[in-house]
Amino acid sequence: MAELSDIANEFIRQEIKEFLERPEEIARNIELFARIRPAMQDIAAALIEGEDGDVDQLTKQALEEGIDALEIMDDGLIAGMGIVGIKFREALIFVPEVLACARAMKAGMNYIEPILSDSGVEPVAKVLMGTVKGDLHDIGKNLCIMMLRGSGFEVVDLGVDTSEDEFIDAIEEHRAGILGMSALLTTTMPNMAKTIEALIDADVRDDVMIMVGGAPVTQEFADDMGADGYGKDALSCVSLAKKLAGEKV
Amino acid sequence: MATQSPPVKEMTSRQRVLAALRREPVDRTPVCNPTSVATVELMDLADAPFPGANRDARAMARLAATSYTELGFDSVMPVFSIVQESSALGCNMQWEQKDNWPTVRMSQPIWKDLDDIRIPNDFLSHPDMVCVLDAIRLLRKELGDEVAIIGKTMGPWTLGYHCFGVEPFLLMSLDDPGKTMACLERMKEATVQFGVAQIDAGVDALTVPDHATGDLVSGEYYKRFLMDLHAEFVDTIPVPLILHICGRTVDRMDYIAETGMAAFHFDSKNAPSESMEIVSDRISLVGNINNPETLFAKNPEDVRAEVFANLEAGVPLIGPECAIPLQTRIENLTEIPKAVRDWHGQQGHAH
Repeated sequence: MAELSDIANEFIRQEIKEFLERPEEIARNIELFARIRPAMQDIAAALIEGEDGDVDQLTKQALEEGIDALEIMDDGLIAGMGIVGIKFREALIFVPEVLACARAMKAGMNYIEPILSDSGVEPVAKVLMGTVKGDLHDIGKNLCIMMLRGSGFEVVDLGVDTSEDEFIDAIEEHRAGILGMSALLTTTMPNMAKTIEALIDADVRDDVMIMVGGAPVTQEFADDMGADGYGKDALSCVSLAKKLAGEKV
Repeated sequence: MATQSPPVKEMTSRQRVLAALRREPVDRTPVCNPTSVATVELMDLADAPFPGANRDARAMARLAATSYTELGFDSVMPVFSIVQESSALGCNMQWEQKDNWPTVRMSQPIWKDLDDIRIPNDFLSHPDMVCVLDAIRLLRKELGDEVAIIGKTMGPWTLGYHCFGVEPFLLMSLDDPGKTMACLERMKEATVQFGVAQIDAGVDALTVPDHATGDLVSGEYYKRFLMDLHAEFVDTIPVPLILHICGRTVDRMDYIAETGMAAFHFDSKNAPSESMEIVSDRISLVGNINNPETLFAKNPEDVRAEVFANLEAGVPLIGPECAIPLQTRIENLTEIPKAVRDWHGQQGHAH
């Protein structure tokens, strides 16, 4: 069993010590970061600090040194984003900080994504993601998409203000196993339920597992509208998508 | 703070709202939504459907009046959306249809930097501003002094989302706090200008929505960027101001209570008793009946339970937590004033 002192990067050690509270998350992250090489820890640390320039440089350098793109993504970028997700969930950081981390992740993914798509790695599942009709907010959806892509999902971004017909057309066109809907406003939340009703009417509801999220959305609301799952944040969106992918892809 | 004795003689709706905003005794707790109670059913009743009711003064006034005439609330609010100023500033708009809210296309920002910020000289002459000002005059003429007319002027933080885009604005706040403060300083001119114009047109109070919500930014962010600006509005806009911020806000209510604002319109994510404990008698709270789960999806008895919970906690103005979903049923809305009256009846005395 690894110890905190087994982690080479001091910043990562401090992050785990200072911000993680749940014993299972502490243990998992100590195991994770103790296992990964110091260069990947440096990438994770730069990402957690939101330093996109550093992530860009370190990712490029790692690739030049022959480190596998998948390792950089998993052990550097996603491992760092895991800490970011926990801090966000615990309200230790807020959206501006998460956006800076997302920008840093993107700086790394700019190098990684083309390599992975050329290598023909099979995605975990295909996910359709859209903000519902009448709602033009997309920060939460975009964070989820970034985390999903980083976790090996293929994501089709339907954008904002997505009508019921656009969701239906996308299900028919892309043959995705999972559909994610987002709403930021209490005034547009009901459009999630309307969309699900429209999918039933169009006889495509059973073609997808539906996950929903957004600041005002709750588990109760998700259950009432007949969604298959609810994700409170980007981190739980990924866990939920993995679970739903296991049930049906 | 409201007291139980001596009994307060019967008040008009307007007197009731204004007294509660001043934290003075009232004959009963006023019912008020400082954001919007427009619904599709009310649009049909008033023959004032969206999107026209957001752009035509007569339709706007007709729909706003239903808050008093049909629902029995103690206030009316003609500004249903949060986009009038952004339209006047030149944002790309999506006015939508009857069953959807107008919105700003924030993915197409009009400003990128401090020097881009321009409050046009004819800002108040823009048709979407004139519409609001004319609607307020019509409401005052039609309703006289019976009911409180509340206007709405957007705070600079929300204008920042609309004009810079949410993501670029939030990133700027992290990357360059000094520049962000300078941007807020420039944008606040729009808030003050529109607020003062609405006072001239006849409003009794103004809602200032400024969405520094706990779903996006920390309480310390509110303190750093907005607390002083909001206190400044209290000095420069001479009517009672009602700050509106959605989401969880208990981590900033202490700061909000220090701004001098008359009231804070709070979300159902904040427990009424916890919120009252934080603000004490420094500011009136308005709220916080849940919109999506209770008003939209549940029944009058569920609405009643939430109204009672707020009254028991001592919340001085009762109403929905935010602008309500447009498909909300009227019977759930009329239950709010009914429940308030019944609660006072059960107490056997004025509040």
